[in-house]
Amino acid sequence: MALTKRNLLGLAMSGWFALTLGAAAKPLDGVTLNVASQNDQFAAVMAKLAPQFKDETGATVKVDILDYGSLLTKTTADFIAHSGGYDVITTDIVWAGQLAANDSTVELRPLIKRDSKEIDVDDIYPVLMKSLGNYGGKQVSFPFAGYANVLAYRTDLYKAAGLKPPSTMEELVADAYKLTDPAKKQYGFVANGQKGPAVAQDWMQYNAEMGGSILNAAGKPALNSAANIKSLTVYRDLFQKAAPPGAADYDWGGREESFRQGLSANMQTWSVGAPGYYDPKMSKIVGEVGIEVAPRGAGLPKVYGVGGWGLAINADSKHKEAAWTFIKWITSKKVHKQMNMMGAGSFLRKSELRDPELNAKFPFLPVIAESFEHGDGDYRPRIPEYPRIQDILGTAVNAVLVGNTDPKSALDEAQKAAEKLF
Amino acid sequence: MAAPAALYVLAFGVYPLLRGVGYSLYDYNLLAPRRTHFVGFGNYADLLGDPEMRRALLNTALFTVSAVTVELGLGFLIALALWRDDRFNRICLTLILIPVTITPLAVGLIFKGLLLADYGLVGYWLAQWGISPRGLFASTATALPTLVFVDVWEWTPLTALILLAGLKALPTDLLEAAAVDGATALRRLRQIVLPLMLPAILLALTLRTIDAFRVFDIVFVATAGGPGDATTTLMLLAVKDGLSFFDIGRASAIANAMLLCIAAIAAVYIVLIRGADRRANGR
Repeated sequence: MALTKRNLLGLAMSGWFALTLGAAAKPLDGVTLNVASQNDQFAAVMAKLAPQFKDETGATVKVDILDYGSLLTKTTADFIAHSGGYDVITTDIVWAGQLAANDSTVELRPLIKRDSKEIDVDDIYPVLMKSLGNYGGKQVSFPFAGYANVLAYRTDLYKAAGLKPPSTMEELVADAYKLTDPAKKQYGFVANGQKGPAVAQDWMQYNAEMGGSILNAAGKPALNSAANIKSLTVYRDLFQKAAPPGAADYDWGGREESFRQGLSANMQTWSVGAPGYYDPKMSKIVGEVGIEVAPRGAGLPKVYGVGGWGLAINADSKHKEAAWTFIKWITSKKVHKQMNMMGAGSFLRKSELRDPELNAKFPFLPVIAESFEHGDGDYRPRIPEYPRIQDILGTAVNAVLVGNTDPKSALDEAQKAAEKLF
Repeated sequence: MAAPAALYVLAFGVYPLLRGVGYSLYDYNLLAPRRTHFVGFGNYADLLGDPEMRRALLNTALFTVSAVTVELGLGFLIALALWRDDRFNRICLTLILIPVTITPLAVGLIFKGLLLADYGLVGYWLAQWGISPRGLFASTATALPTLVFVDVWEWTPLTALILLAGLKALPTDLLEAAAVDGATALRRLRQIVLPLMLPAILLALTLRTIDAFRVFDIVFVATAGGPGDATTTLMLLAVKDGLSFFDIGRASAIANAMLLCIAAIAAVYIVLIRGADRRANGR
């Protein structure tokens, strides 16, 4: 072909078309997705992965990392005003009831059904699919970051005392007393004691493990049941005789710190904090920590507490399909594994908990897998009234721990307050 | 000429206030907006019957009275000590103002960290010596007094500064004449300094009372209102109802009740101090 002016012009034109077509080939070019994210370990990782999503799809993802209170306040304001400021929102396990009641987020069942092959739904633990976003049959959020309640314990102290890690609550309580020696600044137990969500959430966990329940079979409050009073009595005694003296004032940070500083021999905690025990910059107990499934009361079914976060699409978002593409992408096998390799501590898929590379990095993954296989995401009732119930229990349980009242009176009073909500 | 100012006050003062009064008459929750309905004074009646609210009112009153009394007394002593205008006093004044510059939320977190019984820099030793085995914030008896101490630590310098400004504005010739006439220091303080200082005292008293009455930050981070309800304050309840439960009706009712309390206290101050001023200075 001779290089005539005409041919050159044609070449230039086809080159320009190829370039523009190449750029337009990305399906979400020009779209910006605003994500409101809880400030957990996954948030920074999600922000780091955002440019990769842009490379693959063309959409820009802006991650707004917020503390729990701000996330709830800002997203609620967004829902009420129908402003669609956020397209994607991380949702706590206990918010599902409220989101479903107000249709604040997109119902995801049709989308999940449509793309089930691409998502590989069977690879996601059913307990996470249900508890991290399904309420009353509606899927208001897609599971994103599953946390398992696990037992972290000091292998060196257990070995020195000739004890095996506890498999029942009764053993845990007995071990807690045996391993307490205030003269050596060593305590057998630690949990959240501070008034508010901190103590309420930890006690609800222990309460479920000791056979108690917040609601009765009819779904109404049963705070002062005999089992709950018994479990609160055990919890109080542990605080008074086997916990660090300041534990009644601990929230999650204080509790984790007391364990990392070597004060406490046992602690039940969310699996997301576990990587911190292996970090010599913040932990005095590196190499002396074991992680096991959380104990249950003798004779009770083996179920384990599950918590975590889902990803929801704002019902007022102008980019719902793009938001769904992002959710599918970040929860896909490849990207979710990548996220966890980067330290997100947020598990979701059976395949990633079996993944050799992840297991080599985080030796406690089989414990999380076991917990998810037999997980219970409802020991904290995921109902619209939950925040008020948590508040009532947060005051009642703390008052018992500091000796202001006894378990029965506190729970009787709490029951009266909770009944008014229904 | 006053139109912009009047517009400003209407837009940012009167309008939100009236909206707040309006909201307080409704059962209005942002999480269940479809259930909104008029309840009249129902929210106020609920507050009166709520034991947590009564306890919060008592705690707020105790906190305000103790904190403001100590801050005013201590602030006055500091102002007297720094009255003379020399380089040493100017350096001291700059240094004692440091706590005022720290945001209260950070102050609450710092004291919480310091006073933790198990590994706090101060709390550890208090526990070792048997003074506070569980931590000052973890005991019902000491939590509120400790919060008062934190507030005093942070805000006494401000009252000292206001009172010092009042002292420096006093007519020196009057004080010198009294000294020449043989009036003792105590008599000069009682009969000249204090009466002339009444406007500055009123300012410090009103500012600190309003501020202490709506205390939130340090309580929120240091005790969350606990142990039990030993440090629950009115503002803590209002914020919890408004921003945790999104119960705008109830939160507005608490805020309005607080506004009424503060207005009543300010009115009492003004009447008392004006009376004292009239008696002392014949104004």
